[in-house]
Amino acid sequence: MKKFFFAVAALVLPCVLVSNAFAADREHTLKVYNWADYIDMNVLNGFPAWYYEQTGEQVEVLYQTFDINESMLTEIEIGQEDYDVICPSEYIIERMLRNKLLQPINKNFGNTPDYTKLVSPFAIDKFQQMAPDSSVCVADYTVGYMWGTTGILYNTALVNKEEILSLGGLQNPKFAGKVFMKDAFRDIYSVVVLYAYRDEIARGEVTRNELVANVTEERIQRVEEFLTNMKNNIAGWEVDFGKEEMTKGKAWLNLSWSGDAQWAIDEAAEVGVDLEYFVPQEGSNVWFDGWCIPIFAKNAKAASYFINYMCMPQNAILNMEEIGYVSVVADSTILAWANDEEIEATSNLTYFFGEGAEAVHANHVFYPDQTVIERCALMHDCGDKTEEMLAMWSRVKGDNLSSGLVIFIIVVLVLIVVAVVIRAINNKRQRDLQRKKRNRRR
Amino acid sequence: MFENYKKSKIEQRGLGSRIAAQAYLWLLLVVLYAPILLIIIFSFTQSKVFGNWTGFTFGLYENLFTGYDAVAQVKVDPNLYRAIFFTVVIALSSALISTVLGTLAAIGIYHMRNRDRKILTFMNSIPMINPDILTGISLFLLFVFLGISRGLGTVIAAHVVFCTPYVVLSVMPRLTKMNPNIYEAALDLGATPFQALRKVMMPELWPGMISGFILSLTLSIDDFGVTYFTKGSSGLETLSTFIYADARKGGLTPELRPLFSLIFLTILVLLIIMNIRTHKQQNKTK
Amino acid sequence: MVFQSRSTWAWPYALFMLCLVILPLVLIGVYAFTDADGSFTIQNFVSFFTKSEAINTFIYSLAIALITTIICLLLGYPAAYIMAMADFKTPQVMAMLFILPMWINFLLRTIATVELFRMFGLPLGEGALLFGMVYDFLPFMIYPIYNTLQKMDTSLIEAAHDLGAKRHQVFLKVTLPLSVPGIYSGIVMVFMPTVSTFAIAELLTHNKVTLFGSLIQRCFGEGGIAMWNYGAALSLIMLIIIGLTSFFGGDKEDINR
Repeated sequence: MKKFFFAVAALVLPCVLVSNAFAADREHTLKVYNWADYIDMNVLNGFPAWYYEQTGEQVEVLYQTFDINESMLTEIEIGQEDYDVICPSEYIIERMLRNKLLQPINKNFGNTPDYTKLVSPFAIDKFQQMAPDSSVCVADYTVGYMWGTTGILYNTALVNKEEILSLGGLQNPKFAGKVFMKDAFRDIYSVVVLYAYRDEIARGEVTRNELVANVTEERIQRVEEFLTNMKNNIAGWEVDFGKEEMTKGKAWLNLSWSGDAQWAIDEAAEVGVDLEYFVPQEGSNVWFDGWCIPIFAKNAKAASYFINYMCMPQNAILNMEEIGYVSVVADSTILAWANDEEIEATSNLTYFFGEGAEAVHANHVFYPDQTVIERCALMHDCGDKTEEMLAMWSRVKGDNLSSGLVIFIIVVLVLIVVAVVIRAINNKRQRDLQRKKRNRRR
Repeated sequence: MFENYKKSKIEQRGLGSRIAAQAYLWLLLVVLYAPILLIIIFSFTQSKVFGNWTGFTFGLYENLFTGYDAVAQVKVDPNLYRAIFFTVVIALSSALISTVLGTLAAIGIYHMRNRDRKILTFMNSIPMINPDILTGISLFLLFVFLGISRGLGTVIAAHVVFCTPYVVLSVMPRLTKMNPNIYEAALDLGATPFQALRKVMMPELWPGMISGFILSLTLSIDDFGVTYFTKGSSGLETLSTFIYADARKGGLTPELRPLFSLIFLTILVLLIIMNIRTHKQQNKTK
Repeated sequence: MVFQSRSTWAWPYALFMLCLVILPLVLIGVYAFTDADGSFTIQNFVSFFTKSEAINTFIYSLAIALITTIICLLLGYPAAYIMAMADFKTPQVMAMLFILPMWINFLLRTIATVELFRMFGLPLGEGALLFGMVYDFLPFMIYPIYNTLQKMDTSLIEAAHDLGAKRHQVFLKVTLPLSVPGIYSGIVMVFMPTVSTFAIAELLTHNKVTLFGSLIQRCFGEGGIAMWNYGAALSLIMLIIIGLTSFFGGDKEDINR
């Protein structure tokens, strides 16, 4: 038995040592912090060789992933983790710029071409809206990665497109327990607020951008009303499982991101389920994720080369094909890739690719038409309204307390108190009795 | 006497109530085992989606062991194997550390003055009472506060926290049974404390240490809450956190089904063997 | 030499516990009473008691935990009683059978339960949550009750029988009171994990039900910076609940001994 213990020790110690050795040699390490399932691993693994080719320096990539923007932000802001390159969403970039957590990206790549120039001006323009003040050029701090919209994914066999052209269609009692909502309060807020204020928008009293960018209590309240009204229809709040439920045909509708939608459409086609995606007529939000280098980075050079590498059109295409989201890179290679003659309808994509893209046979989930983009707005950091947003979100999502349960709790508490009191009285009586006995004996 | 009592009691009862009682137990067991049976049944079909039956095959078992899905022509998620590896590493190292630490602690506590002993016993009970979410969060705050970046080391430390109390508890009864004088006798005969511990006390404490070690292993393997908060984001996953991440995405890696079927069957066989052995020993002593 | 005295052998452990058990718990308190900048505040608790969704989730979780405990008791006591009293050739095997499922990862079992609900076409939600929780924690109720019932001094029951007590009288006046310690530890062992659970609710209800544990979990994930302190405050409240439960549970056990 003793031998067994030593055998275990001999087995474990080397393992622990080996695992600790990972952390060593920081200056030849590039710490990448990205969303989970958000890159083609072959592209990632090809970076060290490419970097060596360009600079003659060795680098090892340490790749880590997150699911939620805010947890990543917390780690950097409070934990001061030394990630070299991160991939936050636009509103987090806004916050990080305001809190001076990002350093400018050095785009002096020597003999290596600067692929970051291929990023669509459309994306650069949107990112610039995140500037804390006009003196900051956001493009110096971030280079876009992927972008997309939020919209409705639906099962064409079970849902008529006419029924849900408007977001209000989701409230149709017909869909009881059949709708999945993305568990992302910003995106849902943006979509719903545009529906809730559709009349005001039509009358020209308020613009879409203003509605989405400026969160007010009244707006939060109207969004909450909408969500509470359709609570009966909501089958669940999905972090990532909505697309799976859709392909199984268990859910009919899913308010989700375009990339997830494309994934689900492809997956469902394989099992013979027909799914479609579209952006509701009242409008929706458009979002962007971009690469940034935090001020705590220890290998900014490799980080900037990594960002450049990710903008190479062939890499952008590989990534898009792998993850189903759309790269912000817009050059002729990408345009050629996007143009698929098998698709009959054409979209006007001049906003993204510039001239010559007036009628592209493109997948509309990937590249929405100009008219769709015109009704989409960009989300900002909610600032001091974040807490109220979260509170609203918790109320909508989780408030299941009914009066019956409250009564139940009160009854149980009363019973417990009564039991405790009775026991205390009994104990005291017994102790008194014993004391009396003892006294008598004396 | 107990046996006799039982018989008399059974005789008093009608056949109907006896059958009803038995049926109740078996019903509970059926419900309790239904999900596990489901896992085992669906480990024999290739379907990616848990719950779809696409014909009987050992394909998933093959995939699990070869690491390659020959039908879909893709590699089985390498993170699964990393998760298995780290689960084993974490379980073995934390159980080992806990056993050493806990045994020493038990000996120490046993020889303490009454007041000190009470304090330590109380401290020992905290991690056992504390739910895993609180242990996890408190350690999370500690590591953040001290600026320790979370990873394998912090997970092992956290597992030692909730495993050691059980080692202490399983070694303690052995100490009370032991002759308290043999250690002193060994010292008087010229042994160093370490020698006395190794040669005299250890043989007596082995059974307690082993059961503490095994208990620690199982606690560590099964843990989710504490690992979740202390693993950090360096991509370190144990089986528990891997399953959780998988479940959140909605799709369960299919190879988990054969993996856990095998684990379950192994444990079942082990328990049966242990039962037969104790039965034989009992018969011998009779 | 210092190590001659064997009481010093516990010092490494004491030090370890101080650093990794006591200090972290103190830190929960520290974070709970500070804001993001580190200055003292009670705002975290104020917002807990004033925000309807936080306090409602808290009460809701308490109710769910209590209901789970009660169902476990109602289902588990008869099972433990039958096992302890009936004449199985090997009562230990029966007890083993009830514990065996716990060796399979509980998350995986929960996912299998979800699948089971799907197969029978049952909706996920509160019902599924209760079923899943009872399913996960029932063995914690059966085992302690079974243990006390089995170790019970049977001569007392025999005496009661001999003195002419009827079966239900024997049960109510002798067996039940004698098994109270087991019931208490069963209740504590079921209530504490159910009130603090966080991952299963998400899986069993498609995220539709938020429990107190999930609320705390979220404070350390999604909510961002300011929420750590709020999360610590919520953790402290849970710690108090746990402390109270174990205090009453332990207290009662001692008295009955």
